[in-house]
Amino acid sequence: MKKQFVKRFLAATLVTVMTVPVFTACSGDDGGLGGGTVENTTEEQGKEIAEAVDSDPASISGHIEVGGWPSGDDGFEAALAGFNEQYPNIEVELVFTDTTAHHQALQTALAAGSGAPDVAMVEGAYIAQYKDSMALCDLNTLGADQLKDDFVEFKWDQATSSDGTRLIGIPWDLGPTLYYYRTDVFEECGLPTDPDEVADLMSTWDGVLLVAEAVSIPGQRWFLPSAAYPYQWLFINRDYYDEDLNLKLERDGDLECLQACLDIRNNGWDMNVDMWSAEAYAAYAAGTCVSVASGSWFSGFLKTDIDPDGAGHWGATRLPAGMPDTNWGGSFLVIPEQSQNKEAAWAFVKYMMATTEAQNTMFETIDYFPAYKPAWDEAPELYTDPDPYFGNQEPSPNSIATEIAGNVPVVFNTMMDVTAEGCIYSAFNAGADAGETPEQIRERLGNEIETACAELKEQQIQILKDAGVWEE
Amino acid sequence: MKTQKKGILKTLKQYRVAYVYIAPFYILFAIFGLFPMVAGFALSFFRWDGLGAMHFLGLGNYVSLFQDPLFWKALGNTLFIGIIAHIPILLGGLVLAYILNSKLVKGQNIFKTIYFMPMVTSAVAISIIFQNLFGYNYGMINYVLSIFGEDPVNWLGGDGSLIRVAVIVMFAWKWIGWNMVIYLAGMQGISNDIYEAARIDGASHSHIVFKIVIPLLKPIILFTLIQSSIGMFNLFTEPYILTNSSWTGGTNNGGLTLMMYLLNKAPQGGNLYGYASAVAYVITIMIVVISLILNRITAEKEPKPQRKGGKVR
Amino acid sequence: MTTLLLIIGIAALVLIGLALSGRIGKKISLYFILIVIAIIMLMPFYMMFVMSTLSTNEIYSFPPVMWFGDNLLTNLKNMMDQVNLPRAFLNSCIVTFSYTFLVLLFCSIGGYAFSVYDFPGRKQLFAILLGTMMVPATAGIIPWFIMMSKFHWINSFQALVIPSCANAFGIFWMRQYCQNNVPKALIDAARIDGCSEWTIFFRVIAPILKPAYASLGIMQFVNMWNEFMQALIILRKEDMYTLPLLLRSMVSDRGTDYGAMMLASTCAVLPLLICFLCASKYFMDGLTAGAVKE
Repeated sequence: MKKQFVKRFLAATLVTVMTVPVFTACSGDDGGLGGGTVENTTEEQGKEIAEAVDSDPASISGHIEVGGWPSGDDGFEAALAGFNEQYPNIEVELVFTDTTAHHQALQTALAAGSGAPDVAMVEGAYIAQYKDSMALCDLNTLGADQLKDDFVEFKWDQATSSDGTRLIGIPWDLGPTLYYYRTDVFEECGLPTDPDEVADLMSTWDGVLLVAEAVSIPGQRWFLPSAAYPYQWLFINRDYYDEDLNLKLERDGDLECLQACLDIRNNGWDMNVDMWSAEAYAAYAAGTCVSVASGSWFSGFLKTDIDPDGAGHWGATRLPAGMPDTNWGGSFLVIPEQSQNKEAAWAFVKYMMATTEAQNTMFETIDYFPAYKPAWDEAPELYTDPDPYFGNQEPSPNSIATEIAGNVPVVFNTMMDVTAEGCIYSAFNAGADAGETPEQIRERLGNEIETACAELKEQQIQILKDAGVWEE
Repeated sequence: MKTQKKGILKTLKQYRVAYVYIAPFYILFAIFGLFPMVAGFALSFFRWDGLGAMHFLGLGNYVSLFQDPLFWKALGNTLFIGIIAHIPILLGGLVLAYILNSKLVKGQNIFKTIYFMPMVTSAVAISIIFQNLFGYNYGMINYVLSIFGEDPVNWLGGDGSLIRVAVIVMFAWKWIGWNMVIYLAGMQGISNDIYEAARIDGASHSHIVFKIVIPLLKPIILFTLIQSSIGMFNLFTEPYILTNSSWTGGTNNGGLTLMMYLLNKAPQGGNLYGYASAVAYVITIMIVVISLILNRITAEKEPKPQRKGGKVR
Repeated sequence: MTTLLLIIGIAALVLIGLALSGRIGKKISLYFILIVIAIIMLMPFYMMFVMSTLSTNEIYSFPPVMWFGDNLLTNLKNMMDQVNLPRAFLNSCIVTFSYTFLVLLFCSIGGYAFSVYDFPGRKQLFAILLGTMMVPATAGIIPWFIMMSKFHWINSFQALVIPSCANAFGIFWMRQYCQNNVPKALIDAARIDGCSEWTIFFRVIAPILKPAYASLGIMQFVNMWNEFMQALIILRKEDMYTLPLLLRSMVSDRGTDYGAMMLASTCAVLPLLICFLCASKYFMDGLTAGAVKE
């Protein structure tokens, strides 16, 4: 009985394997697996679309689907009235889900050749995966190149293909990195609460440790969600690799930074949890986790979701210890080539991203800091007025963010960045637990990233080769 | 030739009903199961990010796969979790089934139902609860420890080794009831006379379990083993949520399982479709091999069991 | 350390109780073991119910809140504001019921055919069927999705229901049950009475299979009710969401309302638990009646 089972089993496996060549041979004719079979928009088609969008808004009609993650939908809803005033015949449907699910669905639909929305949001960390993709429409053919000077340079660069010819997304927002802290706890501990004074006090690692010690009560109140984060802030532009795809982990002052992180960990001044975890969120709101750094969009998170009752309890300033000005995330809008209504899609993207009206409406609603520079000058009060949530601090978080935004350099991003970023947290924890020195932790991180990203790097090289910009 | 053809037609006609009855499965499987499977197999020889051109690699994906330390780490973790977790779900399941089957305790149905309940829940909801129970600063388990004056344990962080403990607890929690119910079903199929006879001979309980019950239940144990082995290879949601959506399985890759490794390559984390297909096929082959080994082990010295009510053709 | 010693101590006491004492001591020890394990099994469910009545801050506080709070109505309101639970519930019902119905039909006729008719190719076909059980569905997820989009089945329920109906496990299960519980004499008698094969199956056999329908039905119902991976890439619009997608959509980087989420989880799990509790007798009967015996 059993012997028979084994035999039958092997036979079944064999049958399955033998049919393989037959089926692959069959599927060769009709475009195989279907990926990349979508035709690219030609220059002429692009001109027609651009023409229609600019000169005859009423002629564009139809229904488009816009995909993304919250709270982009709240932003679009706020700006939609203005859009429909200009384009009365376009009907917009918002299809929103959480960030991970959205990117996965988008990725799968692009690979399959259908099923993607007409306009999709793409998060900053993911844009490097797409910048060389033919599955996304080259917006330069639609006339996006004329908008280039209106957008922050490093963002525009992130969405430009490796060979510099195509542009696959229009930048929506920036995330100038801010350091958020609980002013009520700082005050209670006899520390200054004014943003400039806090920045001065924490301008060195000694100052940072001083503050960490003052605010922490081990087991009850903590300086940071995890001591790994100050080290991560050094890399938050996500410039892990240089253009030859060599990992470049050595930064100015990185070892001092790591030493300070270790001090924070060893003294029990951090919660030792992920900054996006439910535990950390609850602690921000309760004032038991006293500070955290993030992109300026985090202001919106705090106000509406994490700590809606926390007005007056929060302050924001530049990153401590003289860290350079950086950008943390921020999204893009892309148009998949498979869209059946590119005119309407481009009309939507152009209105939402490249008008001061829309960008500022959305900024007011959801704190997405516009990458569209004219928006800053059009309504300066939005950027400089005191923010009651942040206790009307001077200068306001947004004016600090505006200054930082001007200083962010153009960086080189790759598809390995997301994975590499994930390694920092785990490598630091592992190293700290093993009692390693800063040098050892940096080396451990290097190894961990190289291992985790090995295959992605091969893929990245392949893409650069296909784009004709890779030399062995 | 002609007669042969006629013969086939005749058999087809004769057993028309049987073929019609089994047809839905094979038709649906050929369309929705076989084609993607085969296409996935073909894909495993290519490098493809799902967006650009496909590049033929031959066995390249398989070679890099076997050279990737993370793959071995994931395999090690999966086997470690699987093997350790099988101790409680196998032995615990058997012992519980034996206790409930003996006439010593009442309320068999209540206990049976309670133990089976974990099988009836969604992994997403339950993982979030367990994440909460195992939490470092606010978790209930650490609270209980603190009552006894213990320091809090960083279950899901630390050096990463305790994540596996948490996953094993979840795995065992989910599967023990299923195994217990199946074993109990098997034990109730064993004729009471056998127990009686053994007891009259003065056999102890452990003797009855090891010498009578387990040999008789071998096919059933095999069935549950194959089931939970497949469950082991599919382990993903639990460690993923426990490590706060970390694709590398937390500190030191402590919670990285094979399925997580696969999904991290595509389509959830990255976009290495060819590579992910190769991983999927390696996992498939491992499942097949393990099933065959389990089959071989239990096939030796198979006893002729006596059962009540087993009317097979 | 003390905790560990304490646990070991209790376990040792229980074992000693089992080994030494008489019938009553044994009974107490056995009940102790059974009840402790039952508490462990129920704990997560209990915590889920408790958390659905707490605010997020209470859920993440120390010491943990272990008793029901008074935030249920707030959670209910927040949940209703965030998501359309009745809609998702309806969607889940549509998908799950239609799937369960079809899979029971296909599996029972398939399993019956394998057990009763000795048609040519039976063994080979059955071996292939067993082989398909081993392959993880993820092996072909991309080609599968491409196929679904070519069929224009994206955002449709049939993409979840129809492909999953090819269920090898179900056929295997039904075959085992039929082998043990369908007397050949009954079929022969019905044939002599002049019943067609169809009539035999639906009039005579199907009633015998009731416990098997119950056990397989519950298992498949639970699987589909909790189906997540395929649903995630197929159902893209919010009004098509099933309950697991709805739960997932409540977890957000922006901060999750865990109280509301636990309430939604409770709403998703509770009907299943109730169904299971009601049908558990049939379910267990289905297992006991020999479905898994070789």
